[in-house]
Amino acid sequence: MRTPSRSMPLRQRPLLRIVLASLWFGLLSLPLMMELQAPYFGLGRPLMVSVVVGLVGLLWWLASQWSERLRHVVARVVDTGGSHVRQLAEGPGRRLLYALALACAVLIPLGLNRYYIDVLTQVGMYVTLALGLNIVVGLAGLLDLGYIAFYAVGAYTYGLLSTRIGLSFWEVLPLGALLAAIFGVLLGIPVLRLRGDYLAIVTLGFGEMIRITLNNWDSLTRGPNGIIGIARPKIWGFTFSNPIHYYYLIVAIVLLTIFVVDRLNRSRIGRAWTAMRDDEVAAEVMGIDLMKTKLLAFGLGATWAGLAGVFFAGKMTFISPESFTFFESVIILCMVVLGGMGSVPGVILGAALLVILPEMMRQFALYRMLIFGGAMVMMMVLRPQGLIASPRRAIALRREDQARSAVVKPASERLGLPSRGERKRGTP
Amino acid sequence: MLLQQLVNGLTLGSVYALIALGYTMVYGIIELINFAHGEIYMLGAYMGIVAFSVLTTFHLTAPSSGATLFLMLLAAMLFCGACGVTVERLAYRPLRNAPRLSPLISALGVSIFLQNFVMLAQGPRDKGFPHLFIRGGIDFPGGRISSIQIFIMVTSVLMMVGLQLLVRRTKIGKAMRATAQDKQMATLVGIDVDRIISVTFLIGSALAAVAGVMVGMYYGLINFFIGYIAGIKAFTAAVLGGIGSIPGAMLGGLLLGLIEALGAGYISSEYKDVFAFAILVLVLVFRPSGLLGADISKRV
Amino acid sequence: MISRWRIGFVTAGTIVVLALGQAHAASGIKIGVAGPITGDQGAIGEQGKNGAIIAVEEWNAKGGVLGKKIEVVWGDDQHDPKQAVAVANKFLNEGVAGVIGHYNSSCSIPASTIYHGGKVVQISWGSTNPQFTERGLWNVFRTIGRDDQQGSVAAAFIAKKLKKTKVVVLHDKTTAGQGQADEVVKALEKHKIKPVYYGAITQGEKDYRPVLTAIKQKNPEALYYGGYYPEAILLTKQMRELGMKAVFVSSDGVWQQEYIDIAGKDAEGAYVTFTPDQTKIKEAQGIIKKHKERFGSEVGAYTVYSYAAANILIEAIAATKSTDSPKLAEHIRKTKWSTALGPIQFDKKGDVLVSPFVVWEVKDGKFVEVR
Repeated sequence: MRTPSRSMPLRQRPLLRIVLASLWFGLLSLPLMMELQAPYFGLGRPLMVSVVVGLVGLLWWLASQWSERLRHVVARVVDTGGSHVRQLAEGPGRRLLYALALACAVLIPLGLNRYYIDVLTQVGMYVTLALGLNIVVGLAGLLDLGYIAFYAVGAYTYGLLSTRIGLSFWEVLPLGALLAAIFGVLLGIPVLRLRGDYLAIVTLGFGEMIRITLNNWDSLTRGPNGIIGIARPKIWGFTFSNPIHYYYLIVAIVLLTIFVVDRLNRSRIGRAWTAMRDDEVAAEVMGIDLMKTKLLAFGLGATWAGLAGVFFAGKMTFISPESFTFFESVIILCMVVLGGMGSVPGVILGAALLVILPEMMRQFALYRMLIFGGAMVMMMVLRPQGLIASPRRAIALRREDQARSAVVKPASERLGLPSRGERKRGTP
Repeated sequence: MLLQQLVNGLTLGSVYALIALGYTMVYGIIELINFAHGEIYMLGAYMGIVAFSVLTTFHLTAPSSGATLFLMLLAAMLFCGACGVTVERLAYRPLRNAPRLSPLISALGVSIFLQNFVMLAQGPRDKGFPHLFIRGGIDFPGGRISSIQIFIMVTSVLMMVGLQLLVRRTKIGKAMRATAQDKQMATLVGIDVDRIISVTFLIGSALAAVAGVMVGMYYGLINFFIGYIAGIKAFTAAVLGGIGSIPGAMLGGLLLGLIEALGAGYISSEYKDVFAFAILVLVLVFRPSGLLGADISKRV
Repeated sequence: MISRWRIGFVTAGTIVVLALGQAHAASGIKIGVAGPITGDQGAIGEQGKNGAIIAVEEWNAKGGVLGKKIEVVWGDDQHDPKQAVAVANKFLNEGVAGVIGHYNSSCSIPASTIYHGGKVVQISWGSTNPQFTERGLWNVFRTIGRDDQQGSVAAAFIAKKLKKTKVVVLHDKTTAGQGQADEVVKALEKHKIKPVYYGAITQGEKDYRPVLTAIKQKNPEALYYGGYYPEAILLTKQMRELGMKAVFVSSDGVWQQEYIDIAGKDAEGAYVTFTPDQTKIKEAQGIIKKHKERFGSEVGAYTVYSYAAANILIEAIAATKSTDSPKLAEHIRKTKWSTALGPIQFDKKGDVLVSPFVVWEVKDGKFVEVR
């Protein structure tokens, strides 16, 4: 795939490359960073960029000298880690592992202060959201950029029903999920024929339409003022008030989500989704009803957003359209892709990382989002398939190998032709 | 009023179209929604201001001369081109064979990075754009078209025609089309695919830079966040016209501008984006690959 | 085997370093300052941040308060309610004596319930939504006026002073902008004026010509806009470009030098409601001068609000000789403050009793108070 490029000789001279790269970045940052009025035109700042890039390059090079294939080592560590987790998650020890993880989730927060608990609660909320989106994007392969709309539907369902009619949290929880699912199916109907990025823009538009409507329908949603005084969840006379109460509530919701999503993934529907993702035509030929399968994906994916939305409204006791922007959809998509599409532990890891990283970077103040953006690029470049890649694809390849050795190979050997598998590998 | 709204809409649409061209070119060649493209446009607008202040501080050119405008555009195009190529090299090239959505995420990372970089380097406050260049306009019954509106429309059309000629008539354009159709085959016939992709980013980013400078002049006000809304709108325009198609991007941009202007003028300023998206959905329901979108095999 | 040890060491080391980073001991009195320091409203967050910095630096130069230095703890909420709650919890952990912030009402309101639970005083420097104080929390205050207070000043000015009857009311669909615009509509009704057009624009966009073209058909004499300066600049310029002669009247979010600098000649004759001339208030002299020295620019509209908020909090700590929140709140509520915004007194809810809004006019490239 890689074509010989003109910069090839540079590869043999790493130090020269570092110097050139640092000069190049200094030059790029020069126009926006200089100040004409400052002494020396403020050239110090671009110079700093040059030095920093140079140092990072040098460190990278030294590190690669120290352990020649650091990148591969890192990749291997993550890989083996991932496959260990996967083996554990699928092997006989999985019950034990799950129990251990659950014990950690229940016990660890007891020793933490309210800030960390609040962050962990956010992680839980995003895990629910990301697992829901994972159904649509990771399993069914439908790129959805307006997922936040269903979250908004859930949140506003509780907000409105609680303040207007006085329904309780537990009554609205299934209702919000149901309503979000209905919206999911409604969105699904007009876009059944669309593929790939056309689908992406329509879902983006749908998300924006919901947000704009919420912001402008003053008589119902109070517009930008938002809905205030939403009741906190209550159970048997006990009111949720402390962060830790919400934490345990979201842990319960996350457990439910993981359980159901995992079951779905292994079910007939899950296999139909993956089949559809890999090849729509082939899936249809195999007798999968594409329309039903797609609508199911949209509906079941949206359900979790609805649940998370109801929880969000109950936790914040205040909601406004500002919480449901396009950027939020994008961040959830990042969690799914970064963690590893289609893989439940991957998505959980992705959600945790993208919530915790910006919080950890609070000490960098103004530089926080700058570093976050850079980190996103770096993680993606180092692990393009996501941190914990989906296991199903790996299994499929292994099966293909077995199938080939069992059936196709002898046949092709007999005819002296390249095997089907080999030819297939030739065209990516 | 209708005439005035048409002028408003066409100008707005020309700007969307120019940015949409970058989306469509990149999409055509590597099937990536380049979310960072809106930020490149924002960088172009800032570079315009920087070039202007350098030129006037050192008295290199007269502030409101054509030479200043030309040099501003040139500087912005060069700078954005360099940024586009660098972004491609760092954030997209290593992901060329990765799963389809991975480069999308790294594009988002780049977008967040660039936005915050500009916020830190240039400050978060809005910046005024020098409004010295093109003044005056033509009055017509029921409205007025300013010279800068004419300038924007003409420049956009010229850029599009030029681009179309480049892609259709030149050797490099042929190489671009070949790369878009099949990278492996293109490699086999001796095309340096990496270089062609770099060139695509260079051209797309330079067009965004032109849009940035023109928008700066037109509205007189820029900040580090302008790439976000413009990016979404231009992406919408590109899809409306059929992503991957150059005339499609132009048509989609103009159409989106018109829908917005007429929607805001005649129906409701609050819900105009809802109409825009509703029309987009309708178009896509009846023409699933956009207005001018061809089969997948005929990209760029 | 060795590599495994190495990874273990590296991991352990990282955890230790991170833990140490979190646990740096505090000796001073901490004050939380919150607002959108990054994100789409970073420009406004910066103004609030600067105001608080100057207040704290002034106090520290005088030796701090209660014999201790004052430390500022940042809380960047990015204009996101969820992050505002995280920031609030972080502040409670750090044991702040009080909070100056947040800016957006959508952030201040959810955060205030956390501060209420943790018994911490919160003084907002920019949340104008009436709901912020209407919920009867004892710990919330704001130095900025409510949306309803400002709107009536503008409406009276349009009806009585300018004597315009064909009025257009626009807003930017933010809590503050819409609140002000709605209040203007209500107050105009008292003067028997019904707006000929009422509508909203989208914040962050650049082209408002379509809606202005539609408005032009109504031949308005005055246009009221509730919102912030970037959109106000664009509205003013595009109005004039389309040949509209209507008087432009707007709210405190537009009282920014940028409005005049960027809109240029088109801004001449525009009116803005804002607090009385700060250069005539003794307490404001410090910040106007210091801001110029420290940051090299004129004070922004919100800088003074956060400066005043920080001063009130620190003075209350000094006066009550404690950081006990109920005591602080009581002291803040019953004292007559003289601040950089002029004399301020809080009512039971935590709102400023009389909001000191007056009308300013843009004249020869400057804001001039209208007598």
